Amino acid sequence: MIRSITPPKDPLYVTPKTLLARLHLDGWLLVGLLTLLSLSVMIIYSASGGDSDVAQSHLLRILFSFGLLLVFAQIPPSKLFIITPWLFIAGIILLVAVLLIGDIGKGAQRWLDLGFIRLQPSEIMKLALPMMVAWLFAYTDFPAPLSRFILGTIIIVLTAGLIVVQPDLGTSILIAMSGLFVLFFAGLPWKIILSVLAIFAISAPILWTFLHPYQQQRVLTFLNPESDPLGSGYHIIQSKIAIGSGGVDGKGFLGSTQAHLDFLPESTTDFIFSVFAEEFGLIGVAVLLLVYGFILARGLYIASQAQDNFTRLIAVSFTLTFFIYLSVNIGMVSGLLPVVGLPLPLISYGGTSMVTIMISFGILMSIHTHKKMLST
Amino acid sequence: MHNLRFDETQNRLRQKHSFRQRMLFITLIILTVFSIILLRMAYLQWLNHDLYYGKAEGNRVSVQPIAPARGKILDRNGVVLADNQPVYSLTFQRELMDNIDNTFGALQQLLPAIPSTTLEKFAQQLKHSPRHRQLILPYRLSENQAAKFAVQNHRFPGVTLSANLKRIYPFGESAVHLLGYVGRISQQDLSRLDATRYRGTENTGRAGIERFYEDRLQGYPGIQTVESNAQGRVLRTLNTLAPIAGEDITLSIDIHLQQYLENLLAGKRASVVAINPQNGEILAFVSTPLYDPNLFVDGIDHQSYNALLNDPNKPLINRALRGQYPPGSTTKPFLALGALEQGYTTMTDRIFDPGYFEFQNKRYRNWKREGHGWTDLQRSIVESVDTLYYKLSLDMGVDGIHDVLAPFGFGQLTQIDLLGEQSGILPSQEWKRRVHGKPWYRGETIVTSIGQGYNLVTPLQLAQATAILANRGQVITPHLVVDRPLDPPHQVPIKNRDHWEYVIQAMRDVVHTPAGTAWRAGLALKNKQIEAAGKTGTAQVFSLNDADYKEEELASHLHDHALFIGFAPVSRPQIALSVIVENAGGGGRVAAPIGIQAMKYYLEEIQAP
Repeated sequence: MIRSITPPKDPLYVTPKTLLARLHLDGWLLVGLLTLLSLSVMIIYSASGGDSDVAQSHLLRILFSFGLLLVFAQIPPSKLFIITPWLFIAGIILLVAVLLIGDIGKGAQRWLDLGFIRLQPSEIMKLALPMMVAWLFAYTDFPAPLSRFILGTIIIVLTAGLIVVQPDLGTSILIAMSGLFVLFFAGLPWKIILSVLAIFAISAPILWTFLHPYQQQRVLTFLNPESDPLGSGYHIIQSKIAIGSGGVDGKGFLGSTQAHLDFLPESTTDFIFSVFAEEFGLIGVAVLLLVYGFILARGLYIASQAQDNFTRLIAVSFTLTFFIYLSVNIGMVSGLLPVVGLPLPLISYGGTSMVTIMISFGILMSIHTHKKMLST
Repeated sequence: MHNLRFDETQNRLRQKHSFRQRMLFITLIILTVFSIILLRMAYLQWLNHDLYYGKAEGNRVSVQPIAPARGKILDRNGVVLADNQPVYSLTFQRELMDNIDNTFGALQQLLPAIPSTTLEKFAQQLKHSPRHRQLILPYRLSENQAAKFAVQNHRFPGVTLSANLKRIYPFGESAVHLLGYVGRISQQDLSRLDATRYRGTENTGRAGIERFYEDRLQGYPGIQTVESNAQGRVLRTLNTLAPIAGEDITLSIDIHLQQYLENLLAGKRASVVAINPQNGEILAFVSTPLYDPNLFVDGIDHQSYNALLNDPNKPLINRALRGQYPPGSTTKPFLALGALEQGYTTMTDRIFDPGYFEFQNKRYRNWKREGHGWTDLQRSIVESVDTLYYKLSLDMGVDGIHDVLAPFGFGQLTQIDLLGEQSGILPSQEWKRRVHGKPWYRGETIVTSIGQGYNLVTPLQLAQATAILANRGQVITPHLVVDRPLDPPHQVPIKNRDHWEYVIQAMRDVVHTPAGTAWRAGLALKNKQIEAAGKTGTAQVFSLNDADYKEEELASHLHDHALFIGFAPVSRPQIALSVIVENAGGGGRVAAPIGIQAMKYYLEEIQAP
C-alpha cells in the first residue's frame, strides 16, 4: 500500500476551530434538534390550553437535557468504551432492585426511589444495552463469530426480560430493538434473521396468551376501536378526530378544540402529535416529518462516517431507536398501531425520555467530533 | 505479514460493503414507513377531513333548548297567585366522576345542610344506574349554597349545577281547585303536547287554570348553541335565540274574597261560587277542604298522594265544578218565575197549606208540619212552602218544569274555562226514558218541584242560575280569565218584567223580613244600606219517608246539605253566589250566614273603598 506522504497536521494551527467544534457539537444535528424542540414548546403550550407554566417547565427540562447533551458530547468514545460494561452491570442491578423495592406507578413497577431522585432504570438501559452489545463487536473480525451473536442475544433477552416483568412491554420491545439493530449492523447473517422472523410469526399466537389482559385489550381495541368507544377505544377515536379535523392546512396555532375541550386524553404527552396535526394540518405534518427525516439522515451519516465498529454500531442503533420511537408513536395516534404508552420523541411533554434521547444525541455528536487522525 | 494486512483490508472492505448494504436497506425501510405515515395522514386529513371535522364539531358544539318562563297567574288586582322561582339543583353523571364516595364526602363537607340520608340514598341510586345517565339530586339548593358550590365546582367532576325556574304558589292551599297545579311531563302528556315546544320544559299544567290555559302560559322555547368540554361543562355560548315567555294571565277572582270564604268554610266540606252578574266574571271559586298544589310541582311522593286520595273528606275533588247536589228549595224562585211566565199561576193565586199535600193516597209533607195556612207565591218563596210547589208541579208536569228551568242553565254545562265540569241533571220524561229506560211517574214530579229526586246541580251552575236571575235574564258565560273571548250574551225571553221583580222582591224578603228563612242571617246587613236577595235550601241526602228528621240519629254523611243562593244589591246586583255545605243541616242556619257574610264583605270591603 502507498503510504500517505502528508505528515499529520496539528489541528490547532491548521484549522481554526469554530465554537461548535470546540464544544464538540454537530451543527446540522443541532439545527434539527433545535427546530424540533422549538416546535415542541409551541405545541405543548397549545395542548395545555395556553398554560405558560407547563410550557415553562418544559423549557427548563429542555435546557437540562441540553446540558446533558453538552456534557456527553465532551466524553470521547474511547472513554465510553471503557465504562460501557460497568454501566451495563449497574443497569442490571438497578433493574433487579426496581423489581424488589420499586414504586408502583400507573399499575407498573418502573421507578426506583433513591431518596433524592426517582430513577427509571429502564431509561439507563436504553443507552446501556446497545452500547454493551456494540462493545462485544468492537474488535471482532468480519463477519463476527457466531458466539458473539449468541452472547449478544443473551444480553438482549436478559435485559428485555427484566423490563417486561415490571411490566412494561412497550419499553422492553424498544430496548430489545435497539440491541437487535446492533446485531443487524454487526453483520448478523440474513439466513438467521429470516429464520428467526419465521419462527416468530409461527409462535405469535402462543405469545398472545402470555400478554397481560390490558395488553390484549389494547391490541383488540386497536383492531376495532369502535367496539369500545367510551373505554379503551376512546383515545384512538378522539385522536383520529383531532388529526382528521385538522385538514390540509390545520386549524391554526392554539386552534385545537379536541385538546382544549379535553376530548383528547393525554394531549400533552402521548397524543401530542394529534394536537400538532389538528393545528397545523397535513402541511405541518409533512414539515415535521421532514425535520425528523433530516435528523435521521444526519444520524445515519454520522454512523457511516464513524471510525470503528463500536461507535458505528452505537450511532446507527441510537438513530434507529429514535426512528422507532417516532414511527410507533405516530402509528399509534393515527390508528395504524395499537396504543402503547410511548411519547413522541423530543416533542411530548415529560421528563425521562427527553433526557435519554438528548444524551444519545450528545453521544452521536461526540462520535462525530472526536476523530483520531488515522494513519492508513 | 503482507498476507495478514491483505486479509485485514479485505475484511474491512467486506465489512464496509455489508454495512452500506444494510444501511441502504434500513433507509428504504425508513422511507417506506414515512410514506405510510404520510399516506395515512392524507387519508385522515384530506380524504376524510369532512367526516372528522364534523365529529370534532359534534364533540364541541351542542344545541340546547332554553325553557321559556311560564306565564304568571294574577288575581284581578294583580296579586300573583302562581309564580316562578329560581331554584338550583345538582346533576350527577357517573361516567365523568372520579370516585363516587369521595365526591359525596366532599359535597357533604362543602354543604353540610344537605341531609346525609338524602346523599347516601342518592349515592346508592347513582351506583346502580347506567354510567351515562344523568341523575338530579332530590335536594333544592339555596342561592347561598349554589354560590358556594359554583366556586368549588372544579373539585366535583361529573357534577353540574343547574338553575331552573320552579312553579310556586305563594298562597299555598288557597284557590287550589281553581288554579290547579303543574306536574312533571309524563309519557302520556307527550302524546298530547307538541314535543318541540316542550324541549327543556319539565312541567305542564295538570289541573285548573294551569291546565286550561296551558297554551297561553307555556310560551316558546329558545335555542342556544353552546360549546362544551369533554366533561359536558358548558364553556361558552356561541349563539342564542331567546325564548318567548308564556303569557301572564289575569283572573277575575279576588284573592281576598277567596281567602275570606276559605276561612269561613274552614273545616267543612263545602263550596261557594260567586259571580259578577254584570259581566260573568267569577269573583270567588271555593271548594274545601283544600290541599297544597306546591306538593305536586316536583312530583308528589306516594305517601302524600295516597293520604290525599284516601282522605274521607276528598280534598282533591273540585266541588265547585264537579260536586253534584240536589238543589232543594233553591229551585223555588226559578220554578216560581217560570210558572208565572208560562201562566201556570199568577202573582195573586193562593192555596191553603195544611202541612202536607196528598196525591194518589200518598202524603207529601211540608218541612213545617203544622202548615203555613193560606199561601201565595210570594210567601212560598219567603217561607219556602213546599206544598204550593207540589200542587203547581202537577199542573206543569215534569216537562213543564224542565222547560222553565232549562233557560237558567240547569242540566247544562256553563262552559266555564276549566276542564271537567259536570252538567248536573235536570230531569224530563225524555231524559228518564233515555237514561233509565223507564217511564216517568207523576209522583216523581212532586219531589222534583222542590229540587229533590233526580235533580242535581253543581255549585257553579247554581251560582250562574242566580246570576241570570239577578241580571233579569241576561246570560253571560261565566269565566275566570278576564280577557277570555266569550260568546255574546243572550237574553232569557221575558214575558212580563213584573214577574221577575215579584220573584226578586220575594227573595229580598227571605233575607229582610222576620218570616224569611234567612232573616236571622240577614240581620248582619241591617245597619248597612245593603239590600240582598236570597233563598235557602236544605237538601235531603237520605229519604226519610214519613219519619222525623233527627240530625243526631243519622250518620253524618247522611245529614242534609245546607244550601243558599243570593245576590246583592237587589236593584243592580254586583255579586251573585251559591253556597253549599255538605251534610251540615239547615240552609238558613248554616249556608245563609256564609252567603250573606260573603256579599257583605265583597260590597263593603272590596267594592266600596
